[in-house]
Amino acid sequence: MSLSPHTTPSGFRLPSIHAAPPFFTQQPNPATQAVATEQWSRLILSYAKHRNLFTIKVEDAQTTGGDWDEILRNDRINRKLNTSYLAYILEQMERSCRLAFDPPKQSISAVLYWRTPEEWAEVLHEWATSTGQLNTILTFYEIIEPPVPSPLSGVPMSILRRAINLLIKSNRAQLIAVADGEGVRFLNGSTSK
Amino acid sequence: MRRLGGVGIAAFDRQQLSQRSFAELSSELSQAQVDALHAQLDQFRNALVRFASTHRDSIRRDPTFRHAFQQMCAQIGVDPLAGPRKGGWWAEILNLGDWQYELGVQVVDVCVSTRERNGGLIAMDELVRLVSKLRGLAGGIVTEEDVIRSIKTLKPLGAGYEVIDVGGGKRMVRSIPKQLDEDQAVVLAIAHQAGGRVSVELLQSRRGWSLERATTALENMLLRDGICWLDDQDETNGIAYWIPSAMHWDE
Repeated sequence: MSLSPHTTPSGFRLPSIHAAPPFFTQQPNPATQAVATEQWSRLILSYAKHRNLFTIKVEDAQTTGGDWDEILRNDRINRKLNTSYLAYILEQMERSCRLAFDPPKQSISAVLYWRTPEEWAEVLHEWATSTGQLNTILTFYEIIEPPVPSPLSGVPMSILRRAINLLIKSNRAQLIAVADGEGVRFLNGSTSK
Repeated sequence: MRRLGGVGIAAFDRQQLSQRSFAELSSELSQAQVDALHAQLDQFRNALVRFASTHRDSIRRDPTFRHAFQQMCAQIGVDPLAGPRKGGWWAEILNLGDWQYELGVQVVDVCVSTRERNGGLIAMDELVRLVSKLRGLAGGIVTEEDVIRSIKTLKPLGAGYEVIDVGGGKRMVRSIPKQLDEDQAVVLAIAHQAGGRVSVELLQSRRGWSLERATTALENMLLRDGICWLDDQDETNGIAYWIPSAMHWDE
């Protein structure tokens, strides 16, 4: 038997470890588990980035036909991740700040940080600058559902808020109350601040 | 009648004189022998140097030639790496010392970088494959024998690299100084035959081990040594153990 990388129908290249049967079992040896956790974290984040996925739920390990099927199960070797192992991996990823449970105070549903909030803040400011929307007031809705698809399309509200808060701290954005909720105005600040 | 040699005082003188001449002759002779030997050694040395420098590229590039050369050196009692100077006289002429040390560094590189995956135990053919990949095409072909020699040159560093024979012509390299007991060697050999998978049942049926013995060996490898991974979704036995170093990985 040979373990080789595999390209999924969605065009994602699975690493060869994904074809190893024990990769789908939680390891009792802490050192081995640390390796497995790291591999799973990287796999989940890179897949999320590939598919532009922002959320993962513990129950994704159970359901079939969901967004996460291609990595949470491997039908070629008849293995799948069970929910308790996925829950463990998500907890570990939360500890290393690679995701945040959303809503907070539970641990079954999470928002993935395949970009950190700091990186999202830069992406957001960059987008506002390059589309000439500095100094205009934008609603949150206009940012995450822009008429022209942008890198921000579909970004969860929790990530958007954190990114905007970071920009406010560096004086590159202001929160403005608008009629139907909240809006934001991006300001021209040097990115080095 | 007068006898040669005589009996008088003159006879003593004569004897001393002849003894002195004999001694002179003998030292002259041995000096000549030593000179001849020196000349021969010089000639031999020059011939070897000439041989080594003419064939340096072949030695470094062609594994069969290298093997033949190393065998020849072993037969005449010369170690290509030994010598009075740093790196050795031989090493200097051949550059084989650098070559060997470089290979050693690459062996360490591969062992360390795959350690988290295989727990510090790697199959020899896999090691050779990865080292060759690391060297690229220009590095020439590397054989198991070269890798074993390089591991020997690493010994003074005390890193504890060791070549283990797991039977069936299979060899493995262990890069973490841990005691590998006999039972583990058996488990490794079986895992190699089965593409990396072993189970308690397999050890019982193939080796006639008791449940306890098989379980202990596998659990030790799993929990204490970290050289195998657990699989709780095994179709045949429910629980199986996988040894990454015995699995075949295509990068």
